[in-house]
Amino acid sequence: MTAESANMSIDFLIGFTIFMMAFIWVSAMIPGILVGLQSNTIDYDAVAYRTGVILMEDPGWPRSPGWESFEDERKADIVRFGLAVSSDTPNLLSGDKVERFFNVSTTNPDIGFVYPEEYQSRVIFGDRPYHFNISLRDVEKERFLAVGEAIPNSHGYIRRLGKIKGASNASLGSTYYTAHKYYNNGFDYDNVTTHEFAFEVNRNLLSTEIKDPNYQIDPTRDMLIMNLTQLRSTLKSEKAVGANISAITVYAKTSVGTARLGDMLQTDYPYVDGNASRIDNLPFPVSDNVSFVFRPKEQFFANYMSGFPELLVNVTFTLDTPAPYLNTSKSGPFVYNYHPDNVTQPHLRDAVMEVAVW
Amino acid sequence: MVKESGQLYTIEGVAAALILLMTAYFVFNTTSVYTSGDTHISDMQMEVLGSDALKMMNTAANSTDMKSPLQYIVEREDGETFRNLFLNYTNNRTDSRSDPIHFTANYTYRMELAGKENQTVMRPLSYSRNLSVGEHPVRVTQWVVIEKQIGSNAVHNRAVLVEVLMWRD
Repeated sequence: MTAESANMSIDFLIGFTIFMMAFIWVSAMIPGILVGLQSNTIDYDAVAYRTGVILMEDPGWPRSPGWESFEDERKADIVRFGLAVSSDTPNLLSGDKVERFFNVSTTNPDIGFVYPEEYQSRVIFGDRPYHFNISLRDVEKERFLAVGEAIPNSHGYIRRLGKIKGASNASLGSTYYTAHKYYNNGFDYDNVTTHEFAFEVNRNLLSTEIKDPNYQIDPTRDMLIMNLTQLRSTLKSEKAVGANISAITVYAKTSVGTARLGDMLQTDYPYVDGNASRIDNLPFPVSDNVSFVFRPKEQFFANYMSGFPELLVNVTFTLDTPAPYLNTSKSGPFVYNYHPDNVTQPHLRDAVMEVAVW
Repeated sequence: MVKESGQLYTIEGVAAALILLMTAYFVFNTTSVYTSGDTHISDMQMEVLGSDALKMMNTAANSTDMKSPLQYIVEREDGETFRNLFLNYTNNRTDSRSDPIHFTANYTYRMELAGKENQTVMRPLSYSRNLSVGEHPVRVTQWVVIEKQIGSNAVHNRAVLVEVLMWRD
């Protein structure tokens, strides 16, 4: 007689098998639900690190002309932010780019960048709508710049150190004029009403004398300042003499001579006698100081130097009475170079940047 | 006579055992076990910070400076200046909070010996406090070119490797 204990029917086996397969499948899916919740914390640190690398080590895109020069309708053409002077100089930041990046505007989106959407697509990236806070401290100037929201307790984080490259500048005064004989005929004070002062910016010279990009002066990427001070000291006249800037002309030095490129554009005119804005027309009266400021975003040198790496800027002064005045016709133009007696070299100042993402 | 109480039929028993095993596996698999590998993010953050600090110390402020601060420090073995400068950089934040980072630094170079095999020499440079057992440091390095007389060798430019171990309290 067949025993009836410890028997299992086929129905039970089939049902049990289906049940076990379903149970195993569901069990295997459950850890996947928890993984989605845990990965955000790890992701925040990775996003913060990536953002820090992009800002500190990349110059951004477009590069030439730089994205920091784009305003108004061209702001949409900015593909990626980056604060580095160039891709060859990681951790060396451009002052212009720093100012532009932290120009957060809620009132004028044509000039400033709107948080968060205009930053998200150009420095944070990704499909997830991250919140972030990017801050930078200029240690030497004791300036604090920031964009973003207040940082919560839980967030991804990275801190980077770098240096901000300052502008070079040439400031000439009476001592320099005398030492280099910037007068019409040296010590012979012949009287004429038209005097010309010229300064030369030679990109070939600047790129070969110093090759270290940390200290190299690149007129197309760095800010240059040319200050003419104590102009009254050059008059050498007992009578009161009025002086005007009557013309500013740009020349190119070529292998066959000097070629006139044209008059300086109004947008590049200098600042006179400490005024906060550039002069807007010529002739313009000048008393004691003329200051040429060439900012990279204004593209003055970049526009010319793509074809002519050696430029001469010739300033014509006109006096109302014949008298001696600042004049480089005999001595030769002032050369913007790396000699510390001529030009104050670019100074690197410490900066700290922190990126928080959540 | 075999009793019928407390019996678990074979297949039911196997099924019950499988369910128990799978439940136990599932429970243990979802717990997080903290291992040393989970510190890689904080290690990376500190490594980047230390690397940046050494790079900034090895950059002169302008072109008229003949050498970077780190070059002067290594040539003169000025541990006090290294300590102040390194801690100043690593403690720098955009706000007023400080970062309790400690370090120990040394530099390594190759020394040429006449008639003998060249030696690799390590010399201490500076430290904030000694590394204790259980503290987990990260290592950052920076190559520095110095002009210094080593042993009986003549003064000439040589590359030395500055190594810094850094950790937090």
